[in-house]
This record gives sequence, C-alpha cells and structure tokens, in this order.
Amino acid sequence: MISVADLTKESYLPGNYFAPDAYIQGDYEAGLIENRQGSRLIALPEVLMEAIYAGLERETGQASGIVMFNCGRWWGKNFYRRFVEEVSRYYNRPVAEMEMAEFLQCLKQCWKTHGWGVFELDVTHYQYGFLVVKVTNSAFAQSAPKGGKVPACFAEAGILSSFFSQLTGRDLNCIQTACESLGADSNSFVLGLRERVEPATAWLEEGQDHATIMERLSQSKSAEV
Amino acid sequence: MHPDLESLFYKSEENFLEATEIKLFKHHIASLADRLALYECLRDQEVAIFQPVADQLLQAFPQQDPKLLEKSLKQWITVMRYATMAMLLNNPEFLQRRLLEWLTDVIQAHQTQAIEAKLCQLLQARLKEVVPGAQLGLIQPLLDQAQTTLLGSSSVYQMAN
Repeated sequence: MISVADLTKESYLPGNYFAPDAYIQGDYEAGLIENRQGSRLIALPEVLMEAIYAGLERETGQASGIVMFNCGRWWGKNFYRRFVEEVSRYYNRPVAEMEMAEFLQCLKQCWKTHGWGVFELDVTHYQYGFLVVKVTNSAFAQSAPKGGKVPACFAEAGILSSFFSQLTGRDLNCIQTACESLGADSNSFVLGLRERVEPATAWLEEGQDHATIMERLSQSKSAEV
Repeated sequence: MHPDLESLFYKSEENFLEATEIKLFKHHIASLADRLALYECLRDQEVAIFQPVADQLLQAFPQQDPKLLEKSLKQWITVMRYATMAMLLNNPEFLQRRLLEWLTDVIQAHQTQAIEAKLCQLLQARLKEVVPGAQLGLIQPLLDQAQTTLLGSSSVYQMAN
C-alpha cells in the first residue's frame, strides 16, 4: 500500500525555480533587478553587446574571440557556482542527488529566463565522448557582427566549457560548430576533452558544417578505440 | 496577483471605475469567495482525494515498482497544489510557468506516460466525487491544461477509453 499521508508529510513540493515571473524581481522603475534570492542581476542591452563585439574587434583584432571565450569561461565558473547553490537550496538537496532530467530541466529554464535562448542537450554522440548543446534564439548570436565567416558566440562557448568542466570534473573544451549569425537554425556547441574536440577548429576553418564535423569527430574517436 | 483584479486596480489609478467596471469588480470578488472555499476544500482533503487514487493506481499497475508509482503520485500532488493556487488566482499562466513548463520534460524522461495518464484519469474521477458540480468547473480547466501539457494529445485517446 502507498500511504499518501506519508507522501504529503513533506509539505514542500517545489516547482520551476526559474519561472521568469518568480525568478526575476525588483524595482523596475528604479532600474534594479534581482533574482529570487535577492542577488543583483544586470541587463545587457543589445547595443552594449554589439559594442563589446565591435570594441574588442577593434582593440584586439583576431584575438577578440579568445578574449570573449576567456571572459565566458570566467563567467561560467561563477555561473556554475551560483546555479548549483541556488538549485540545491530551492530543491532541498545537492545537485549530485538530483535526477539528470530535473537538473537539465533547471539548466534549460535558467538559460531561457536569463534571455540566453532555448537550450537543448543532444547526447547522440555521448558514446564517442562528445556532448552537443543546441541553443536557439541566442542573444549572443543576435548581437554578433553580421557577415562573419566563423561562429561568433565565443562567450557562450566559454560559459559552456566552464560549466560542463565543473559539472563533470574533467577539463572540457567547447567549440561552436553552427551559428545563427551565419544563417543556421540554431547554435551548436560541441563539448569534449580538449585534445579530442580540438580538430574541429581546423574543420570549421575549412568550412565544414556541424553534421560533417560530428561525423569526423565520432570517426576519429572510433579509430582510436 | 489575481490578473483581473490587478487590471481593475491599474485602471482605477487615474479615475473612478465606471459602473460596468464596478459590476465586474463585484463579480470577481464574489468569484474569489467561491475560489477560496474550493481552495480550502482541496487543501484540507488532499489525502482523502489522493488515497483512493493511489490504491486504484496500485491495482492498475500491480507489477510496477511502487517507488515509481509514488513518484508519479507525488508529481500529481504537486500539479494539484499548483492548479489549486492557479484556480484561486484565476491565472492559468501561474500553473503553466511555475510548474508545467518544468515538469513536462521530466515526465517525458521518466517514460511513465501510461501511469501518468491513468493517474490523471483516476484523479479527475475522484474530484467529481469530492467537489460539488458548480465548483468543479473552477478547477477542471486547470487539470485539463495540465493533462494536455504533460501528456499531450495522446492522453485524450487514453482518457476516452
């Protein structure tokens, strides 16, 4: 027999922590926004994002992507810490004890509520040691300079590499293989061990698309095995 | 915040409410009393509503791991709580955003749609026994919303059978 009285003994049954109407609060007239724990949030206007791209390009030239990637890595490091802290506090258990589906759903909702786009994790290539993250309607891609030749969401790639490195305890690199700013339907990011995912950079410069790059990465892994 | 009342408060900022708006206000206040009564009824009878549902679910899935059934039950208890609050607020968006958007993928990952559909069917039947007909109309649309969002159109077929 299942006792409903026992099931409801714990009166706290949490829902969607990152629901936008609950998560983003503040005094809009005073221009202050904060999350539901009271931590300050900042809004990045589109013009500022565009200026960051343009300014870095002018100041650092070809290195601008690396600069943004490293900024993203730093951002992702703090983002992971805050995410884990907030989620485990709200759901009343460490993230290590959460089901993968719940954890992922939190990450997706978090991504969306922060205005970074719709996040999907593709585990099709997991057996080869790669994770693929697909993000649609990315704010980073929308602000990227048009007419580029390579994917431009460097900060996002940095955030993802840092987030998943801390999550898995391995040093993962992240390479973007498709970008909305280049006309793709979504932004694709490949995550994997640094030396395994690195060849994707050269294939990307050759002009290979996401599907081809994934096929080659998977084949190279198969060959090694 | 109750969105209909909020809208009237917003309108009343600059001028007196007109007669039709006062009438609307009175309607919402009267409706709020009914909603509060139903809220209290559902809150106080949570165990009485769900225990027969749990017993019948166990009979329907005798081979299934009880832990899995408990998990599904807990999810629908949560759905019921959020639906009850959404009913009180007269705000279906509350249910959608605060729970269903998050729960849908979790349920899909568990691949327990058959259990969830049966549970939903049992819950709807149980509510018809517990909640008076007039009040049922207040909570029913929210359960339909939960069913459609969580289980998709396939559940409509299962429910019909």
